[in-house]
Amino acid sequence: MGKRGIIDGRENEEPTARVPGPAYARIASLLVGAATLLSAAPASADEDAPIQLWHAYRGAEEDALAAIVARHEATGGAPVELLALPYDAFGSKLGASIPLGEGPDLYIDSHERLGDYRVREIVAPVGDAFEGEEGFRDNALAAVTLDGEIWGVPLSQKCVALYVNQGLLREVPATLEGIAALQPGLPEGVFALAYEAQGAYAHAALLGAFGGSMLGPEDSFGFVGEPAIRSLDLVQSLIDRGAVPNDADGALVTDLFRAGKAATAISGPWLAADLGETDVDYRVVQLPKVEAAGGEPMRPMLTVEAVMLSPHGAQKPEVRALAKLLASREAAEIRQATAHTLTARSDVPLPEGDAFLRAFADQAEVAIPMPSSPAMRATWEPANRAIKAFLRGELDAAAATEGARKRFDDVRRPPPPPASPTPLIIVVGLMLLYMAFGMVRAARSGDLGPALRRSLPAYRYVAHAVIAIGLLVLVPLIIGAATSLWAGRPETGHYVGLANFVDILTARGGPLLATGSFYLVLLVTLLWTLSNVVLHLALGVSLGLILARPTMKLRGIYRVLLIIPWAVPNYVTALAWKGMFHRQFGAVTGLIEGLNRAFGLSMEPIAWFSKFSTAFTANLATNVWLGFPFMMVITLGALTAVPGDVLEAAEVDGATRWQRLWKVTLPIIRPTMLPAVVLGAIWTFNMFNVVFLVSGGEPDGTTDILVSEAYRWAFTREAQYGYAAAYAVLIFLMLFSVTRLGEWRAKVKADREAAAVAEAVAASGGAH
Amino acid sequence: MVAVTVSQVTKRFGATEVLKGIDIQVPDGHFAVLVGPSGCGKSTLLRCLAGLEEVTSGSLTFGERDVTSLQPRDRDVAMVFQSYALYPHLSVRENLAFGLKLRKTDAATIKARVDEVAEMLGLGPLLGRLPKALSGGQRQRVAMGRAIVRRPALFLFDEPLSNLDAALRAQVRVDIRKLHDQLGATSVYVTHDQVEAMTLADVMFVLNGGVVEQSGRPLEVYEAPASRFVAGFLGSPAMNFIAATTVAEPGGEGLRARLGDGSVTIALPPRDGLGAGRSVDVGVRPHDLELCAQGEGDIELTVDFVELLGPEIHAHGVLAGTKVVACIETSAGAGIGIGAVIPLKIRRLHLFDRESGRTLR
Ligand SMILES: Nc1ncnc2c1ncn2[C@@H]1O[C@H](COP(=O)(O)OP(=O)(O)OP(=O)(O)O)[C@@H](O)[C@H]1O
Ligand SMILES: [Mg+2]
Repeated sequence: MGKRGIIDGRENEEPTARVPGPAYARIASLLVGAATLLSAAPASADEDAPIQLWHAYRGAEEDALAAIVARHEATGGAPVELLALPYDAFGSKLGASIPLGEGPDLYIDSHERLGDYRVREIVAPVGDAFEGEEGFRDNALAAVTLDGEIWGVPLSQKCVALYVNQGLLREVPATLEGIAALQPGLPEGVFALAYEAQGAYAHAALLGAFGGSMLGPEDSFGFVGEPAIRSLDLVQSLIDRGAVPNDADGALVTDLFRAGKAATAISGPWLAADLGETDVDYRVVQLPKVEAAGGEPMRPMLTVEAVMLSPHGAQKPEVRALAKLLASREAAEIRQATAHTLTARSDVPLPEGDAFLRAFADQAEVAIPMPSSPAMRATWEPANRAIKAFLRGELDAAAATEGARKRFDDVRRPPPPPASPTPLIIVVGLMLLYMAFGMVRAARSGDLGPALRRSLPAYRYVAHAVIAIGLLVLVPLIIGAATSLWAGRPETGHYVGLANFVDILTARGGPLLATGSFYLVLLVTLLWTLSNVVLHLALGVSLGLILARPTMKLRGIYRVLLIIPWAVPNYVTALAWKGMFHRQFGAVTGLIEGLNRAFGLSMEPIAWFSKFSTAFTANLATNVWLGFPFMMVITLGALTAVPGDVLEAAEVDGATRWQRLWKVTLPIIRPTMLPAVVLGAIWTFNMFNVVFLVSGGEPDGTTDILVSEAYRWAFTREAQYGYAAAYAVLIFLMLFSVTRLGEWRAKVKADREAAAVAEAVAASGGAH
Repeated sequence: MVAVTVSQVTKRFGATEVLKGIDIQVPDGHFAVLVGPSGCGKSTLLRCLAGLEEVTSGSLTFGERDVTSLQPRDRDVAMVFQSYALYPHLSVRENLAFGLKLRKTDAATIKARVDEVAEMLGLGPLLGRLPKALSGGQRQRVAMGRAIVRRPALFLFDEPLSNLDAALRAQVRVDIRKLHDQLGATSVYVTHDQVEAMTLADVMFVLNGGVVEQSGRPLEVYEAPASRFVAGFLGSPAMNFIAATTVAEPGGEGLRARLGDGSVTIALPPRDGLGAGRSVDVGVRPHDLELCAQGEGDIELTVDFVELLGPEIHAHGVLAGTKVVACIETSAGAGIGIGAVIPLKIRRLHLFDRESGRTLR
């Protein structure tokens, strides 16, 4: 095809109207086929299809659900198809399928997501699936009620309570202060109470005792004022007395309690599951009262698991019937017997003598249902940071919580007003026009026909690659870029033009170098990238040089050992390093203690994540560990290109070992290293895993880099995808222009060299 | 501009002894050539001189200085490598200036010297280029220039011409010798090409298996090889060797040699202490075999192969069971073909002891 044209160039002999060649025909038929499939899909969803039920249960809870569904089917209920999804992916999967009329008819999820789901219209009121208020606990009902309507049928409830190590504690004091007062009497290294003191979730229980809550009325920030300040001061005093570990996370609470290093612990039913078969003799009781709060009880947050109906599922009577059954008394009894979960029903008696469920049931009575408003999600980050900043002693309680409120309000600030899409349409229109114009011109110049004909066979070979790259790279890129022109929540968003960019580039109207402003984060990112690349290079090249020495023994073994950090998935490494930097229990602290013991020193353990410098260093150490093997491998490869006799020539020419390294070896490997350095810099610039997992932005978001900041806008601050996308676009533009600049400079240099050679050839008349 | 003295130098790599006690003296300003077959240790000796290898025992003296344990940079030598070893990342000018810059020479001097050398070697138009943009011959000249520009006391060359084609090699050979005469520095030159050795050397050292087999002026060595090895190594085509036994001249004073299978005997010039019944090798250079009139020859060669080289003919044949080559002027030997039996006069012959390979004089 087209061969004749190539050979003799007589284009007029080519037939004007062409039948598409076999390859195009195949692609076309594929496209048509795909279109048919898409359009046919909704139609094929016939009436007899089984009910789709999605859940995130595992283990015993999943067994219980299967048993209930089996009983439903056995008694003549409509067939049900169960699908278990990971909890983290649950919301996004629902959001991606239900609006298209696909996905589950009903699903089981936590009540606090209801507000969000309602706005996104992926949940519908339960209607007659709700059998009436009598059988349910008030708290559970309150949790699923939004604006007077029931949006989910409650199944079970979860909240934290107090675990007591009976080996350490016979009698449990009634008050928190009483528990803390036990500290002096406890064995060395044992805490009176272990809980996540720095986390807003755990702190909410204390806040509740003082009559506060994380989310205030009308979606305002609740963690301010008297209750916030007094609850924080109380935590501080507990830590000061040594009764509570300063920076425990969930895993550490489990470890401490399991190891008998905590007389009591605040945690949920999951701690029992984690403890499994353990030697610790424990029981669970209600959280203590708080003297400082006038003897009020601690009031933890309550999560209610509920059956929710998708809008299309809610239409079907058999789906509503299934939902009703799932929440029924019989089902609750099965769940309680099989999975030992606390039911949301009031008419199911607790098993005789089951102190564990009893305690959680009592606790749930005084718990506060977690607000289901979408604004709740935006409280965590500022509240967590406020608690941490306060416990680090950076700010007093009032300033910390006030700052948190400002941050919350800033994040919740209404999106910019809709902008007229006209400029965008004009720009896109002009671009299209320009392209069309170019094509017409090319066609009229007469070159296009033959040129196209000549290259058509080539397109056949690259077509699949072009399509794949287009789908995998170009389409997401364009969608991402387009998203950045929108603001607000995904379903209610509107076009705002460049307002997101303006917001970012003006630091949201605040000081340019304020915490969390684009410019400060950019500076940190640049510092991060630069220090990493320098250290990667220094370490990688040095090790490469050492390993490449011919006198080196056991080279192969060292090489493998040094490449290992690279081979381990980086999030695993990041988590391991985070553990090592733990202030009380990390390996680094262990090392310091060891040194102290060995040399009689008195170095203080370092609280790595409470200062920018140390937190940044911790991130840096982790990423250097992750990154140097790559540079080392590249160096080893590059060094094979350094001829030995050139080094010897330098030696005879008078170069010392050091001069040979700097003036010969390094300049020769430089061109090979350069692309690796650019690549390494880009990876580091976007090294989300390390920053997110090791320091998590601490302290106070100062160690966040641009990508982790973008992540926070999208996933912890009210799903501001447009804003996050604008960050991503800025990152892309920066990296793109930097690499282009590098290429351009390399090209200029190459051109200059070529010109010099040409000149010299001309001058020498081509001698030899 | 130093005399070089190598005394009792040995060098071993692990268990293998590569140099087995080398003694060499190169007078100031002389051009010394080390020749020998591949693997005999020429490069190793040169690298010992440069300081790139440490000697295992023995000493090296440049002029008055004992340099045995000095670093290369303290020996005031320059070396031209077989592969030229130009700095790939530096332009020709920077390549030339590299050694001077390391020695903190001031910029004006560097420029003057580089320009001078570039002028001398015709490198002017190439100064801005990188080595990868040069031809083989140009690279060779840059490598030479890099050595010259430093004005060292001693030049070391390791087969600098082996990567060039034959025509260029002949030309550069001449250039090197001229440069040496012009600069006057002492040079040590390694090659396994005996033409280079013969043409370049003031003094020649033939190495074999890590020992100096013979040294002296090239022509002396050529004319009076000290051993069968040296005799065979120098000269092209190589010397013909024929195993022989000495027999007394029937009824005469002198000796004869019974060659190879015993079918041919030739008269031997008298030699000290040589009696009848000795096992010897008779060596005759192909150019010492001269075509003569029928019946006047010392031997007769049955030709089985002929090479026509232009000025001369190489006639291959078998003499007393041994392969022999004779070089005959084309004008004299016209018409010699395969199967011809040609009478040859032996102009000159060498005798070697069979056992030791030493020359019998
Ligand atoms: N670094 C080394 N380690 C071990 N053996 C070596 C080393 N360098 C050289 N040799 C050995 O020493 C012997 C002499 O090597 P050298 O390079 O001096 O030979 P040469 O005379 O230069 O040969 P050529 O004409 O092929 O270059 C060889 O047998 C070689 O294998
Ligand atoms: Mg050699």
